[in-house]
Amino acid sequence: MEIFPILLIPLALAGIAVLPGVRAGRSRKFGVLNAAGHFANAALAVLLALGLMRSGGPASFFGFFYADLLSAFFILTISVINFISALYSIGYISADVKDGVMSERKAKAYYSLFNLFALSMLCVPVVSNLGMVWVAIEVTTLVSAFLVGFYNKKESIEAAWKYIIICSVGITLALLGTILFYYTASRDGGISSLNWTDMETVAGSLNPSILKVAFLFILVGYGTKAGFVPMHTWLPDAHSQALAPISAMLSGVLLPTAIYAIIRFATITNVCIGTGYTGNLFMLFGLVSLGVGAGFVLVQRDIKRLLAYSSVENIGIIATGLGFGGTVAIYGALFHVFNHAAAKSLMFFAAGRAVKKYKSHNIREIRGIISAMPFAGAMLIIGVFALTGSPPFSAFFSEIMILLAGFKMGLWPQAALLLLFMAVAFGAIVFNISRPVFGGKPEGMPVEGEPLSGKLAFGILLLLICVMGIAAPGLFRDLLLAASEIIRGA
Amino acid sequence: MAFAMVAAKRMSALIFGFRAQSFFLFLLTFILAFRENSTQLYFITTMLFAIKVVLVPNFLRRVARRIKVNEDLGLSANPTVSIFAAVLLSYMAYLFTGKILSFPGEFENSAFFVSLSVTMIGIFLMMARMKALAQIIGLLVMENGMFLAAASVSGGMPFIVEIAIFFDILLVVIILGVFVFKINKLFTHIDVDKLTELKG
Repeated sequence: MEIFPILLIPLALAGIAVLPGVRAGRSRKFGVLNAAGHFANAALAVLLALGLMRSGGPASFFGFFYADLLSAFFILTISVINFISALYSIGYISADVKDGVMSERKAKAYYSLFNLFALSMLCVPVVSNLGMVWVAIEVTTLVSAFLVGFYNKKESIEAAWKYIIICSVGITLALLGTILFYYTASRDGGISSLNWTDMETVAGSLNPSILKVAFLFILVGYGTKAGFVPMHTWLPDAHSQALAPISAMLSGVLLPTAIYAIIRFATITNVCIGTGYTGNLFMLFGLVSLGVGAGFVLVQRDIKRLLAYSSVENIGIIATGLGFGGTVAIYGALFHVFNHAAAKSLMFFAAGRAVKKYKSHNIREIRGIISAMPFAGAMLIIGVFALTGSPPFSAFFSEIMILLAGFKMGLWPQAALLLLFMAVAFGAIVFNISRPVFGGKPEGMPVEGEPLSGKLAFGILLLLICVMGIAAPGLFRDLLLAASEIIRGA
Repeated sequence: MAFAMVAAKRMSALIFGFRAQSFFLFLLTFILAFRENSTQLYFITTMLFAIKVVLVPNFLRRVARRIKVNEDLGLSANPTVSIFAAVLLSYMAYLFTGKILSFPGEFENSAFFVSLSVTMIGIFLMMARMKALAQIIGLLVMENGMFLAAASVSGGMPFIVEIAIFFDILLVVIILGVFVFKINKLFTHIDVDKLTELKG
């Protein structure tokens, strides 16, 4: 039952934000309320996961909403990142309003869109119908396009246009895949329903050749949204132009919601024709994305684009993990979804602070973050190592799990490539980020601390990646394990 | 109809082409609804007419008039080449449906072939036309192809999904329209091939 408040809270907040009396910019009250609402959401997500684990089975309402442990995991990740972004937004938005970059009206629009975006992402894992999943994902594009083009500058409008056009085309192809799934389900399976639970029960009798083509459309279509190479071209533009809290949400949780949709289709396909077909495709797209992402990270000069390409690379790792198959690799992939979301948010927040202070995206023009902004600078350094998977941070464990699983299953060339690309990405990110962090700060730049809300956001993220790195709590581990069993179709 | 749109050089002709294509789609689903005599299909048909034949083209025409881009479309491939490409794409769609998918029924085969070609031509329109508005129309043509596939191959998707998809299309068009205005204001043109500030 926790699903309904989880969906209602962002809806209510979106409504409150546009009420005439509410002042979202100058006074921080609304920002605090917003963060509190999303904190409640994250708590509810934990309750949902606990409830589902206790009852052991999925919960469904009206045949329309449906949540199993896989959805619970995604809801948890999304709501945690939403909460932290909401927390970070308080300081970010009020600073923007104070500097006159953003008007009071725009601040209200921001909070409203923020909540609609959160709502649309939360819708994706809780609807039971693959058609509605499609609609929810398309809505995430539409809402977040406004957030990408929020500053109304030439670059941001261009990024928003590319984003919306490329993702819409991609998602139209995904619709074609959905139609084909529906066609074979109604013709060969004898059901006229798009619920994946129904489809899974009849999956054995579906037409394999249509299913193969349909899954290809799904993978390319939703893969556009997830940022697989070569459909990733919108991603660096959109991520670099969006506001920092939104970049964190785009990169940390929007990309995985698309992965979630692909996973749902993949489980149906796997029942019918075995895991080899989908696994190979996942590995192919994963490794290509990983390699290209790592390469672009190496040559990137724009700090936010660099982080965006690192998202492409991380999505590649996740897809490769899903492609390897087997409990360990899938567990690692899901774990990496969470770790990447936390570490990438940390990086985007810290980079956002630096970009604002130096008024430049170029890592050659930014110097001495650590002395100009000691707190954000330190976070940037920690974030670099957390993101690239160094111990003791959590991403190390998810990456090593995927690697080990790959080697153990005898997929030597793939796992070796994975290791190579991860090493390239590690070197590239450390090299490119350490230059702007160290060095002398420009003459006359005042030293600046971090507002309390920002400190809190950073602190929580740091706590998450450290705790998960040292020992994931037992319940979280069980949740991940159960979710990966669902993917394996066990 | 899609072929006529490929050949269209002017915006108004393109919008008219889209309207006509949607109208044919409307006729087709109306026949389908009549044959199966289902209220849901009738309802969908009405929505189709309202949104795709009336609302969306009118909205696009208004946008086009407001920002005064009735001149040429910025073709990167001239009409003859475009027609040739469209024929080629259709033939590929034909091969694809025939060889790889091989639906059991003759009707489904041809319907899927037509819708796939329409979709491909939509993509081609988006790639070869450099005006932002034309890209919107390319996207809509793709959607039309999808709808044809859904309606003819599987007798329509579940009701609520269809409604949601319609709503979605309306939203896409409106939002894209808003962005066209913004692009026009900031760049004083809507040539997408000149949007090149972001690279790498």
